[in-house]
Amino acid sequence: MRPVSPIVLAVTLALVPASTLLAQAPPPWKQGQPAEMANSTLAPIAQPPAPKAPGEIPVDKLKVPAGFKVSLWAHGIHNARVMTWGDKGTLFVSSRVAGNVYAVVDRGGQREVKVIAKGLNLPNGIAFKDGTLYVAEVSRITKMPGIEDKLDSPPAMEVVYDTLPKDLPHGWKYLAFGPDGKLYFNIGAPCNICVPPDTHANISRVNADGTGFEYVAHGVRNSVGFDWHPATKELYFSTHARDWLGDDMPSDRLDVASKKGMHFGFPFCHQGDILDPDFGRGRSCGEFAKPLIKTGPHVAGNGVQFYTGAMFPGEYKNRIFLAQRGSWNRTQKSGFKVMMVTLNAGSAPKYEVFAEGWLQGEEIWGRPVYTQQMKDGSLLISDDYAGAIYRVAYQR
Amino acid sequence: MVAASLLAATAAGAADLEAGRRKAEACAACHGADGNATIPGTPSLAGQPVYFTHWQLIKYRDGRRKDPQMTPLAEKLSDTDMADLAAFYAAQPTRRRPASLDPARVAAGKQLAEVHHCASCHRPDLSGQQQAARLAGQDFEYLLRLLRGFKAKTAADLDGTMTVASQPLTPEDIVNLVHFLASLGPDPTSK
Repeated sequence: MRPVSPIVLAVTLALVPASTLLAQAPPPWKQGQPAEMANSTLAPIAQPPAPKAPGEIPVDKLKVPAGFKVSLWAHGIHNARVMTWGDKGTLFVSSRVAGNVYAVVDRGGQREVKVIAKGLNLPNGIAFKDGTLYVAEVSRITKMPGIEDKLDSPPAMEVVYDTLPKDLPHGWKYLAFGPDGKLYFNIGAPCNICVPPDTHANISRVNADGTGFEYVAHGVRNSVGFDWHPATKELYFSTHARDWLGDDMPSDRLDVASKKGMHFGFPFCHQGDILDPDFGRGRSCGEFAKPLIKTGPHVAGNGVQFYTGAMFPGEYKNRIFLAQRGSWNRTQKSGFKVMMVTLNAGSAPKYEVFAEGWLQGEEIWGRPVYTQQMKDGSLLISDDYAGAIYRVAYQR
Repeated sequence: MVAASLLAATAAGAADLEAGRRKAEACAACHGADGNATIPGTPSLAGQPVYFTHWQLIKYRDGRRKDPQMTPLAEKLSDTDMADLAAFYAAQPTRRRPASLDPARVAAGKQLAEVHHCASCHRPDLSGQQQAARLAGQDFEYLLRLLRGFKAKTAADLDGTMTVASQPLTPEDIVNLVHFLASLGPDPTSK
């Protein structure tokens, strides 16, 4: 028997119409804030309503390792998030609160940006297979067959699967095809911290035709980035940890799901080794899978991608790029970097910075969210705050 | 339904207040020359945070928020138009809209605003910030319509926060809250 969570209790009480002067749940981002932090001024960073002009994007402030060069590849893409390639060279780009899906077409050095769908419900997840673009909104997955031939008159979106939970907190999805040809996505916890319904806080999958729904991983607060190891085919994913436990606790994580059905600890155990002060009672961290890497408190790791290209030096093969959108629930900002992870057989992975500079002092001018490899092996990085895409190339 | 732009970009940072003033002339008949509306049911835009006005215009343009008058107007606006308009209205001084208020309901609404954490996003004086609207002194009928819409899950919500927050409210609570919100801000008679 699970303990009744105070949140569930508060929600239940709130359904009693007689009096609403009982304690009410605060907005989702503030939920779980302890009384002693009630005067905190920390709040999520607002998404600007328009992309930045090129002159307002100081690409020269971005630092990459020696031999690499970073440039502004595209701009004017409001709230640019996930990037995925079409078969014919179109880069599809998603957004979250902007509600748009974009197609970016390369016209000899100039990038043309087209809006191919708008007014969608947090359409963060996009994936492409066999000529068809798949889009994940909060409660449904749809597809646009043959889209690359119809960028100026996009076809209607056909429903693939539309019975996902409608909860908006952590309701936006990452979407990707696994090596098994199935569509994988997250169903986030509908809260900062709570005992989620059994239907939430997981990574799930369906077949490309919408049949065969099943859970893949449990106890995952919200993962909005994952990829599969090119050789072992294991699922690697990032997770954002809970807020309001202080500046340095708990760490976000990078995990490996080596098989179906593993539990990664939420809401009982965080970062593999600390019990939640409210929800951890009577539990042990030994019950749950431990993270591959504690990636740091509040860094907000999003995009996870194995490097398989030929442009970067040999040691980059099968390294993981982890784009961190950066913190809000921390008095000194953390994250706002693209990290890289080198896996070492038999020893701890190496975890180091690949690109940084979006954070200057305590001021931010951009937020890296996802990466995508180009055919030539260079790496694109999307920035949802500036509405831009950067390209990192290696020059011998 | 397709908009294409060949790297013709826009910038929130480059918003032009004077251009906003000219563009706002088309809005003056309903929202007032300085964004202080007088028609009951029509919201005042004066003093609304830049992000709030801009985001609402985006939602009208892409269909997430619907209104027979606003939708066709917003469909013609570029991102630059929206940024200019939002900057202009944010810079205008606000005046509380006239309303006949019941002091008992104002008091009850004040308590409800605390219990329901309105200040968490809308600031302690409910003057709004970032994408969260200024509520203080807003039009009575408009506030009522919008809160009832959020409760009914029919009002457009940027991220779901208002829809979630309004679910526990009873119809009586909504009226009391609106009495309180409409009571805030400078006295409408002292211009």
